[in-house]
Amino acid sequence: MKAKILSLLGVLVIASLVLAACAPKTPVATQPPATQAPATQAPATQAPTAAPTEAPTETPTPVPPLATYDGKSLSVPDCDYGGEFKSIEATDKYTVTFTLCRPDPAFLSKIAFSVFGILPKEWIEKTAGPDKRTTEGLEKPVGTGPYMLKEWKRGDSIVFVKNPDYWNKDAVIGADTLIFRWQSESAARLNELKAGTVDGIDNVGPADFEAVRSDPNLQLVVRPALNVFYIGMVNTVAPFDNQKVRQALAMGIDRKRIVDSFYPAGSEVATHFTPCAIPNGCVGQPWYDFDPAKAKQLLAEAGYPDGFKTKIYYRDVVRGYLPEPGRVAEEIQAQLKQNLNIDAEIVVMESGAFIEAASAGKLDGLYLLGWGADYPHITNFLDYHFGKDTQQFGKIPPEIYEPLIQGAQIADAEQAKPYYEQANNAIREFVPMIPVAHGGSATAYRADVQNPQASPLSNELFAFSRPGDRNTFVWMQNAEPISLFCADESDGESLRACEQVIESLYSYEINGTAVKPALAESCEPNADLTVWVCKLRQGVKFHDGSELDAEDVVATFNMGLNPASPTHVGNSNLWDYYSYLWGLMEKK
Amino acid sequence: MIWQYILRRLLAALPVLFGILLVTFALARLIPGDPCRAILGEKATQEVCDRFIEQHGLNRPIPVQFGIYLQEIARGDFGSSIRYGLPITRLLIERLPTTIELSLAALFVSILIGIPLGVLSAVKHNSWIDVLTMLWANIGVSMPVFWLGLILAYVFSLLLKDTPFWLPPSGRLSAGMISTPFYEVWGWSLPESGVLPGLARFLSNLYILNALLTRNWALLKDAIQHLILPAMALGTIPMALIARMTRSSMLEVLGQDYVRTARAKGLPYRVVVLKHAFRNALLPVSTVIGLSLGSLLGGAVLTETIFGFSGVGRTLYDAITARDYGIVQAFTVVIAIFFVIINLLVDISYAYLDPRIRLD
Repeated sequence: MKAKILSLLGVLVIASLVLAACAPKTPVATQPPATQAPATQAPATQAPTAAPTEAPTETPTPVPPLATYDGKSLSVPDCDYGGEFKSIEATDKYTVTFTLCRPDPAFLSKIAFSVFGILPKEWIEKTAGPDKRTTEGLEKPVGTGPYMLKEWKRGDSIVFVKNPDYWNKDAVIGADTLIFRWQSESAARLNELKAGTVDGIDNVGPADFEAVRSDPNLQLVVRPALNVFYIGMVNTVAPFDNQKVRQALAMGIDRKRIVDSFYPAGSEVATHFTPCAIPNGCVGQPWYDFDPAKAKQLLAEAGYPDGFKTKIYYRDVVRGYLPEPGRVAEEIQAQLKQNLNIDAEIVVMESGAFIEAASAGKLDGLYLLGWGADYPHITNFLDYHFGKDTQQFGKIPPEIYEPLIQGAQIADAEQAKPYYEQANNAIREFVPMIPVAHGGSATAYRADVQNPQASPLSNELFAFSRPGDRNTFVWMQNAEPISLFCADESDGESLRACEQVIESLYSYEINGTAVKPALAESCEPNADLTVWVCKLRQGVKFHDGSELDAEDVVATFNMGLNPASPTHVGNSNLWDYYSYLWGLMEKK
Repeated sequence: MIWQYILRRLLAALPVLFGILLVTFALARLIPGDPCRAILGEKATQEVCDRFIEQHGLNRPIPVQFGIYLQEIARGDFGSSIRYGLPITRLLIERLPTTIELSLAALFVSILIGIPLGVLSAVKHNSWIDVLTMLWANIGVSMPVFWLGLILAYVFSLLLKDTPFWLPPSGRLSAGMISTPFYEVWGWSLPESGVLPGLARFLSNLYILNALLTRNWALLKDAIQHLILPAMALGTIPMALIARMTRSSMLEVLGQDYVRTARAKGLPYRVVVLKHAFRNALLPVSTVIGLSLGSLLGGAVLTETIFGFSGVGRTLYDAITARDYGIVQAFTVVIAIFFVIINLLVDISYAYLDPRIRLD
């Protein structure tokens, strides 16, 4: 009986599936949201795209065009759209002029990011599918870099081979073949390195630093920290609205103890919010020393001689800046009780909800958060967190944000130094948060690898390392790239693979953050930093044999910035970094 | 008769699969947190997240999303992975063979060692061999795969380095070793899509099979070398289970009258054990083997992680943490299908092992 009922149900399921399969396909990604204007409502300057009586089709909703692109120039009529670019023009075959809507001292640091790597115009057009990049576009990038992609065996490895026409004849291309493999477990990565089956590994486990250092067959390279872990608070919520309370917290927490106990070697106690590897990051007075007596005195002066009750919010997510969130939260809880008689309840939040609440300044206690650099410029740290409109720490006083506005008008780091000194000192005075640590990490290599790298930006370029007398360099990282169309990717594992193949106008120095010319011989700004003229290197060839010129640069930025362009198709189609760092050219 | 039975079982499995689809779909959406920031990171702006949610239809009512999903499934389309942007069918073609190869190898190891140990233990009941074997089986059942995997890699890859017993610590093939698909070696040109090309690609991702088909002995050796340690790590628990089940089943059968009769009529003990007792004792063992294979196919997450295999378990785990709903649903359904098929095969094997059993 039971079997018959189940069989009958099975027949019903088949019948319903057949009916479902015969139903017209419902568009998902292509349907406009309810709040959007109807698809048939064309911009005033355009003829209607479909008669109102026509049945709905699956054609993607046309994006109202804002930008104009003619192959040589990409421009918007005005800067009201909120983005950074006004125009990008190929002013001659080897000159590109970027006109900005506002001054940007970090222009070169941003433009050097591999997401903005230059691709050949024809390839961009050829690999643009109807709604996303073709498989070739996602898996077989064509660039100008020292290595060319040979094969990506999904789930297994990526094989690159040397580019015989590489333009930089001074570069040492260490091995004819470069192979990327991946393994999420640090212990297993180290086993591979010790076994000699790989030449280098990323992210040595914190507990293994000493083992690698003491092994004569291996070498450890500590990666300079380019992140910060801080204890946040909102200065519009009592008792954190009292500056003395905030200063008391700053002096009453032993940050060195936290770093010594929970961070790997190579980590540092933060002297400033911005890591010292970034120009002007550490100018101005260093952070308060641990002084529990003075902290108690300040707390008493603020009207809390017996401490108070609060909460410590965090999310249970491991990051380079916070390798052990739970234990660090418990340590801070214990220190607050012991040093300041503050009773803090620990509250673990779901990651997304935590970020949302912290960013909006809605948490009523202390919270544990951090930041990793997107590009190596002080604006990426200070302006993002302490700009005038930031809500994360409550109200930012003008003593902090005004020098930041002035500093952001100056490209030269030395000239901008006095403003960042002022800003850093004001941050120390007003204590919108407590910077705790810059979390370190490390790579490891076989002992005979020459010029081993551990870039603070995690963009190791293996053409500049030599794997002993071997002809193949095998690198093992944490995870497999998602795609190799990096204009529309944001994860570091994908970007590192792309960086072996694709180059930007500028690049970062090996193992450092300073920028240097790459595909551009130079990019010079005008006086107010709103126009940058880039002279391209001549005779550079893409892996498909075509020659780099200014139109390739304009086509690359048109692809990334212009949602109305047919080439604006990627993997996720989110264009995360184009959107975040430059702003897409679309009507708001 | 048997075909009727199979058809009825398959039909009866459909409501189960539908239920699994429904539950997986609901559970995937009950995972707390925002899928956008889980996938794109905490720095994803609200604007980007709004676009992401819209692109993937996640702003629609959940019943509508389920309806669309069913419609796609009915068309044989598992949809695309949110994270990789690839068709999930392609991911299955790439990743399922890895797990199948690993699971079969682990099962092979566990049967090869587990059954003889169980038989030996039963035959030498209460001897030191029995005690040692069962002690080992108990340790095997209790040993964490994660720890065992690392220890095996340490011993065979590091301690035995530069000896003939060295084995690679992870990966499916050595760096630089390419498994050229058999259809390319044979000069076939496959279209981008279709069932048969998909099947050919699927088979070519079974490296050992591909090596045999292409007679690439270096590839075969390399693939087998890379499979030994993970198969040992993954096969230890099923091996212990099989050994214990074989032992208890054999002990029960050896105590029965027909065995005594066989012995009384003068048959050699070896023949009695292997020919008369063993086949009957295999009935419960085959159940354990079937269930083990099902678990191996779906639950090799730790082994795949330690040994760097991008298989079903690993992909599923990554998909859960990244809220890649499409992969979670599709891979769970595939694992469920495996269980259904394996259970069916086990039931059919009963009839073969014991002719008195009627499939009805």
